[in-house]
Amino acid sequence: MDAALAGRLADTAQIIIPRTSDPDYKCFLYLREFLRVKIGATLPSAVLFDLLQSNGPEVREYNAARTRVLFEELAMVSGRRASLDDLRYEIERTNVARAAVRRLTAQRRGTPRVTGSEAFPLLGAFWCLPPEEYATLAAEAAEDIERRPPLAGPRVLLAGAPVDCPALHAGVESRGGIVVSEISPWGNESAGNDVVCEGDPINAVSDKYRADAIGPRTPASAMRESIAGALEQVDAVVLSLPPEDTAFGWDYPALRSAFDRKCIPYTCLYGDPYQPLSDSDAARLDDVITAAETRMETRHG
Amino acid sequence: MADKQLDATVAAAAFQKQWFANLRRRVFDERQPYALVQADVPFELFDLVDIPAVSNQWWAAIVAAKRQAAAYLDAMAADGHHDGLCRYCSLGYASTRYCDVQEPPWGGLPTPRLLCARLTCDCIHRVFSMWAEKFGSEFIEIDNPGANYLPPRWWELSRHRWRELVEPHRLAFAVSTLERLVERVEAITKRRLDRAALRERLEKVNQQEETFDAVRGLVASAPEAPVRMTEQISNVMATQWVRGSEWALSHARAFHEEVRQRVESGVAACPGERARLMWIGAGLWHDTDFYTAFEMSHRAVFVWSMYLAFGPDGYIRYGLDDPMAALASRSASFNEYLHNPPWASEWIVQQARDHRIDAAIVLHPRSMKAAATGRLFIERALESAGIPVLPIEGDVVDERAWNPAGARAAVRSFLDTKVMS
Repeated sequence: MDAALAGRLADTAQIIIPRTSDPDYKCFLYLREFLRVKIGATLPSAVLFDLLQSNGPEVREYNAARTRVLFEELAMVSGRRASLDDLRYEIERTNVARAAVRRLTAQRRGTPRVTGSEAFPLLGAFWCLPPEEYATLAAEAAEDIERRPPLAGPRVLLAGAPVDCPALHAGVESRGGIVVSEISPWGNESAGNDVVCEGDPINAVSDKYRADAIGPRTPASAMRESIAGALEQVDAVVLSLPPEDTAFGWDYPALRSAFDRKCIPYTCLYGDPYQPLSDSDAARLDDVITAAETRMETRHG
Repeated sequence: MADKQLDATVAAAAFQKQWFANLRRRVFDERQPYALVQADVPFELFDLVDIPAVSNQWWAAIVAAKRQAAAYLDAMAADGHHDGLCRYCSLGYASTRYCDVQEPPWGGLPTPRLLCARLTCDCIHRVFSMWAEKFGSEFIEIDNPGANYLPPRWWELSRHRWRELVEPHRLAFAVSTLERLVERVEAITKRRLDRAALRERLEKVNQQEETFDAVRGLVASAPEAPVRMTEQISNVMATQWVRGSEWALSHARAFHEEVRQRVESGVAACPGERARLMWIGAGLWHDTDFYTAFEMSHRAVFVWSMYLAFGPDGYIRYGLDDPMAALASRSASFNEYLHNPPWASEWIVQQARDHRIDAAIVLHPRSMKAAATGRLFIERALESAGIPVLPIEGDVVDERAWNPAGARAAVRSFLDTKVMS
């Protein structure tokens, strides 16, 4: 929003905003309103990609239709009419990049060989680079990491509101922990499984992005499953629940029970991840890393 | 609490209490199902298959009005839910989850057969899922597609040209979600929804809202407001939860008749009225005296809230050949009507002009972020129309951080310096 209003997106053909959260939807409506009332003269037009994430039986058909409309809108904006075969080809290209992501995330499993601070930007770059370039660079990084010695320190999962910057990774790792996973579209979950394209590629894309979306509208059961799956590989959990969180805080009591059942140390951080850690959050982080170290020592005898 | 000026208000309050007592008797003694639903779910569909529906927001308002919210919200915080989470939509859940902290109002909510909510704000899915889990009840969720196109001056289209308000794909989706809801409630009750009865019910809803439209016209045009905003809300909302029923229609007419007589007799809510105020936001349920606090000191009267005005503009649908589509077109855009630009701001400015509003008090609820951000557009639009605006921070159900004296002082100062100077 800031970038759009400041004119930094003036050369952008169109802003496409996915419906990952209610704030995203509002961002779309607000941009439209700014355009309508002529605030920000250089605003590009905005389009909502209304991909729903609930489990209703009518959602799949709706999502496929919205994806088809987006495909057509993109053709209009770009002036290039792409075929479904073109889309299949793009899916295959991107699946190669997804495989590269998985090779990187493998280096975080078991005894990790890469810090979260280093891995997180490598994984997030999946969204920013052309697939072939990403696959090449990620493969080079994976080869380098595979030759490294294992890292000591308690393995930490970052959950709660999805992190989109490496500040919390740095906070954990400056205390001796290693972030090995984060429930975030920018981290281990960025690429997910391949897009399976056996029939209509539009359906394949809409199904994939619905199933793999991570955000406040992701069904709570799916988030809990992701976290439960990650618990097997970690010694502690840090939940980020910043002041603007409206959704993930509701999961906390249930998650707390799950952590207690597995005797996994955990803590909640309530500050904005873009700001320096508050004293109270820093103290919580100290405590949870200490508890995780104790647990590790006990586990390893 | 300020005295009720209208007999209709007393009757509305009595009806609600009795209605809830009947519901409890029905559930406990007769083991009949009822539904716990968000306010924007079509109640008509439940009523027509004989499942009474209780509104989450109504129940939260009752708990807050009884000054019982703080204990539940404290218990929720002690359980680890952070302070930034929405209280309005979750207070009902808290009253169930932490039921041991105090005796709930009116005996409390019995266990519903099902819960149902439209997934508007991001928290709804989670709050209702947890609530359903706590009750051991089924939760039917209705997703809420976003709008790419919002035509200007929606209230001029909503009655006769409602199909133009909602993009065809959104309307089709909304209809399919309602059809799925109907299938489910039919299976629960073993009763078929009578489509002709649905059309008749919607016609009665139209009549009810036309009556409220007439009341709104009286409030807008009378030399002095004939009925306080708080009493407008009491009368309107008591009927909205059972809209289209015989009682609702009859009560709406009685309310209109009483207001009409007051106008004809020159009876004002606040004789000598000097400033007409509008309230932007949900009701301040824990401190409704706030709304009458400026009558004595400034002869300033709250004459407008969304509750009376939204009924006629948001609910009336003519052309009921396809009643399910008409119903879907109503609920599909509730959030856009009330909270989001451009719809909310242009409607409220129009309402302010129609009601000769002198100033607006805009609630900024800290915990209802989704609703609160759109208020900035409303404020800007009102100020551009020459209407002074006072934003006030507070929560509609959570009185813990509310400073009644401070809020009143802020309004008095605003009236002195910006409105009546």
